[in-house]
Amino acid sequence: MKAVFIVFNQANTARVEFMLDELKIAGFTLFEEVQGRGSNGGVPHRGTHAWPEMNSALMTVVEDEKVDELLLTVRKLDMRNKEVGVRAFVWNIEKEV
Amino acid sequence: MSIYKSAIDNPVTTILVYVAVVIIGVFAFLQLPVDRFPQMDPPYITVMTTYPGASASEVEANVTKLVENSLNSVDNLKRLTSTSKDNYSTVLLEMEWGSELDEAMNDIRSYVDMLKDNLPSGCTNPYIFKFNSSAAPVIVYSVTADDSYAGLDKIMNDVVVPQLNRVDGIGNISVSGAPERYVYIDVDQNKLDAFGIPLESIGTAVSANNLNVSGGVVKMTREQYNLQIRSEYVLSREIEDIVVTTTPSGQKVFVKDVASVRDTIKDLSLDEKINGRDGVRMRISKQTGANTVKICRDVRKEIETLKHNLPSDIDIRVLFDTSEDIENSINSLEESILYALLFVVLVVFLFLGKWRATFIIGITIPIALIVGFIYLWFVGSSINIISLCSLTVAIGMVVDDAIVVLENISKHIDRGSSPREAAIYATNEVWISVIATTLVIAAVFIPLTMLKGMAGVLFKELGWIVTIVVSTSTVVAITLTPMLASKMLKPRKVSVDEKGRLVEGKQNKDWYENSVVRVLDKIDDWYANLLRFCLRNKAGTLIVALLLFLGSLVFVINGSIGTDFMQQTDNSRISINIELQNGTKIEQTLLTARALEGRIRELVPELERIATTAGTNDASGVSAIFNNTTNNTISMTVVCVKKNERKRSIFDIAEVLREEIAKYPEIVRYQCVVSSGFGGGGSGASTVNVEIYGYDFDATNIVAGEVSEAIRARVEGARDIKIGRDKDRPELNVVIDKEKVSSLGLSSSTVSTYIRNRVSGLTVGYLKEDGDEYPIVLRLQEENRNSLSDIMDLTIPTPAGGRVKLGEVATVEEYFAPPKIDRKSRQRYISISVTPYKVSLGDLAAQISTVMEDINMPNGITYVLSGDYEEQQESFGNMALLLFLVLMLVYVVMASQFGSFSKPAIIMLAIPFAVTGVIIALLITKTSLDLIGALGLIMLTGIVVKNGIVLVDYINLMRDRGYELGEAIALSGRSRLRPVLMTALTTLLGMLPMALSTGEGSEMWHPMGVVVIGGLLVSTLITLIVVPVFYAVLSRHGERDKEEKQRKEYIFMKLNPDAEPIKQ
Repeated sequence: MKAVFIVFNQANTARVEFMLDELKIAGFTLFEEVQGRGSNGGVPHRGTHAWPEMNSALMTVVEDEKVDELLLTVRKLDMRNKEVGVRAFVWNIEKEV
Repeated sequence: MSIYKSAIDNPVTTILVYVAVVIIGVFAFLQLPVDRFPQMDPPYITVMTTYPGASASEVEANVTKLVENSLNSVDNLKRLTSTSKDNYSTVLLEMEWGSELDEAMNDIRSYVDMLKDNLPSGCTNPYIFKFNSSAAPVIVYSVTADDSYAGLDKIMNDVVVPQLNRVDGIGNISVSGAPERYVYIDVDQNKLDAFGIPLESIGTAVSANNLNVSGGVVKMTREQYNLQIRSEYVLSREIEDIVVTTTPSGQKVFVKDVASVRDTIKDLSLDEKINGRDGVRMRISKQTGANTVKICRDVRKEIETLKHNLPSDIDIRVLFDTSEDIENSINSLEESILYALLFVVLVVFLFLGKWRATFIIGITIPIALIVGFIYLWFVGSSINIISLCSLTVAIGMVVDDAIVVLENISKHIDRGSSPREAAIYATNEVWISVIATTLVIAAVFIPLTMLKGMAGVLFKELGWIVTIVVSTSTVVAITLTPMLASKMLKPRKVSVDEKGRLVEGKQNKDWYENSVVRVLDKIDDWYANLLRFCLRNKAGTLIVALLLFLGSLVFVINGSIGTDFMQQTDNSRISINIELQNGTKIEQTLLTARALEGRIRELVPELERIATTAGTNDASGVSAIFNNTTNNTISMTVVCVKKNERKRSIFDIAEVLREEIAKYPEIVRYQCVVSSGFGGGGSGASTVNVEIYGYDFDATNIVAGEVSEAIRARVEGARDIKIGRDKDRPELNVVIDKEKVSSLGLSSSTVSTYIRNRVSGLTVGYLKEDGDEYPIVLRLQEENRNSLSDIMDLTIPTPAGGRVKLGEVATVEEYFAPPKIDRKSRQRYISISVTPYKVSLGDLAAQISTVMEDINMPNGITYVLSGDYEEQQESFGNMALLLFLVLMLVYVVMASQFGSFSKPAIIMLAIPFAVTGVIIALLITKTSLDLIGALGLIMLTGIVVKNGIVLVDYINLMRDRGYELGEAIALSGRSRLRPVLMTALTTLLGMLPMALSTGEGSEMWHPMGVVVIGGLLVSTLITLIVVPVFYAVLSRHGERDKEEKQRKEYIFMKLNPDAEPIKQ
């Protein structure tokens, strides 16, 4: 099992949900209204007067074999509009109840 | 932080805020005066002008017309009527209700100022005054006496009135019919003639011997004295011994030789009999804004203490006490409120089955109502019929919001949340829709505050109170209710057994679970099945519903439902006005009055008291013919016992009396008016008036006669038909032969003075006693001035010392003159008023108008139907406009709530069925639709729509959760049935006491109760079926699939990240 942490511009929320539906991924945890700043350019998303945009973040725990497909789809979504970006990070799940 | 979360987190603050509100409210409640209606000034302004010596038609042409023409352009003027009488012109301006009267007074004053120069010389300045409602008496006493009757005037003025004046808030006390002490010198003309002395010389002798003069100062050796000549009469007997003259033979002629002196009370011309005894009436009015009930209570107390100081034969009794009516109405309304409270709490308990939940919901009622009192206190209003009715109307609605919130909280707790979290989540889910339903109610009631006319005055307070009370209940529902729920509701009991397993708390099946819940569950199932069936047969369902609606309309079209302006109220009082042949002597009138009193006592066993007044307070004798007196009128007030202590209604009793009075041949006209309807104090019954306009007196008189005959003959249920123009009054006109009188050294002016002295009397001085003065009146004894031949036989002294009989120098003619000329809208008119009996005002008007079509109107004569019927038409027009406005506003509120144009239409489909329910209810209870009923209809739009909102809101929710349309509808129907039934039942039962009450004054609000209950019952039952079905019809095309549509536009899944970028 892997945890995939997806951070995206708020504007992408509906598309991210759509993506998960398409990939038949049911469970997720959504963090709304999170702030962030990219390492490779792009404007900060801080929800301030200077940087008004905000991110949302989503964590989903999936079977190992689904991870690649998910990351590929995230890339596709990112390609759609670089300005309204999306990033995904994967780490291991040690245990679960 | 949301308001409900703050409230839950700060329970102490929340509780204390409401405790503070309650304390302020109780304080306000204790300060509030109790009155019948909200303070309102009737918008009448009168302009009175005196033109001495002019006849009615001269006054009309020279004064009234001018005043009318200049005042016709006053702002906000609704109606202009006038009366021209001999010497007087009265122009009455009726302004729009609710317009600023002080401003109007200023306007009128400046118009009158401009007009002054054009008025004929000899005219007095026009006098402007406005009608003041607090001038009407709040309590009327009858004071009867036997031995002390003669001294009653003095007792009243010296003892009773000064003591009563001490009561706080009392305005004016007037005493009518009190016997005034007079000393009469009744002269025998024959004796006078025998001695050859004129009447005037007796006067000179009497007044010459009745004086106190200062004779200067007498200085003695040491002292100084003022010299007083005191020859005033101490006793009236002294007058008899005054020497009038000495005959040539040296014989003294004393007053007693030619006249008799009577020290008595003023000659009878106004006769007050109360329960057959001599008496006077004392009318007490209050100051503006004073508390009627309190004043009456204080006055009654004061009278009790007074009684000990009065002679034992004086009996003071309440004749008419407005506070009695007010207290009765207020008490019966308070009873209604208590019953409503009880019913509402019982319904809540029945559906929820938990005392704690019932308490949480029930607590909203007193808080919301108390805020209503704070509003009343704030705007300076009073506890009155309108404000209490508004509270009754509001009771059923104030719990609705709390019910919705609490129900949702319970559901969350059942699902396992802790009470605090459940309260927060559950309130979050519903608080927007709770506010929306309140907005709908506000959309219905706020327009009421903008109504114009009399309806506006009536309903302004209602609109504000209901809006404020319901808004308060919403605030309570999203603060106090979740807070209390978080503290008082218990979480579901769970425990761990010895093996470490989770055990649900025992669901102990009590009586409630076994009985009520099972029944409710069955109803839920049955309803869900019915709904599924109807959803399968949509067309059939809608057709049946449509037929039902159209079917009910048939009753409206064929006129089974009457219309009225206001319901006639039975306040146990009949005013009888009787007119005998013009010129009937007061004594004759009294005979009839006494006979009638006796018959009434036999015919009306329900009688409590009867008060009779005959004649007016004017001089008597033949002068009655010269002056405009009404010695031929009798007015009686018949008061019966309370309406729930007798079988016959006051209207039936009045009918019996009418039949009786009709048997008396000497009675020319009569009315038995049950003073009822709006206006309280006794504005008379609701009437339909036929107004006949035309300049020619005779022609209009003839038409009026024909019309009243035709109505009497052909219109069933027409009673008290009254022609507003008095019959021509017979007058005796003395025509003096100027040539003859001048040859005798007389003139018209001297002759007329002599006639006046002999007939009307000459005041020759005053008898002083204990600081009071009593007039001494000299005139011919009655036998010498009471017939036409007596008048001709009057002896007129000539300057030469001779005598001449009036008949020798003048002739006396009898002729008829119109006593007054009425005008309306600057045209002469006669009004014929008709009171309905066992028929609605609208029907009566319709029948009269068919009768009128057959009447041949001569050229130049027109007619209009008016009176309360006109008021009714106007108010109904206003109500229709209001209904339209309310529907628009309700639509706006709902459309924004649902974000849809079609959903509100679905919900509003319930309204026509409310109309069906109203029609059925009116038919069953045989009630006519009046202004209050129409108001109920408007209120229904809001109440009915509320149910729909709850239902449709939930269907939308279920569809958003992905249920298929039909299933979503059936599920939401099942889930929402209880809240819908519960809110409908609370509103319905809240109104029930109003519809069933038989207390005093309850007739007025009865139609509202009937309309709301009928409408709500039918519309709730039908809309529970029709609204979902209609929803299904309109929602086929899946407008909830917006998200799907949007998703189809997402194309990014087809992108290939590894593809070469397109070269630009």
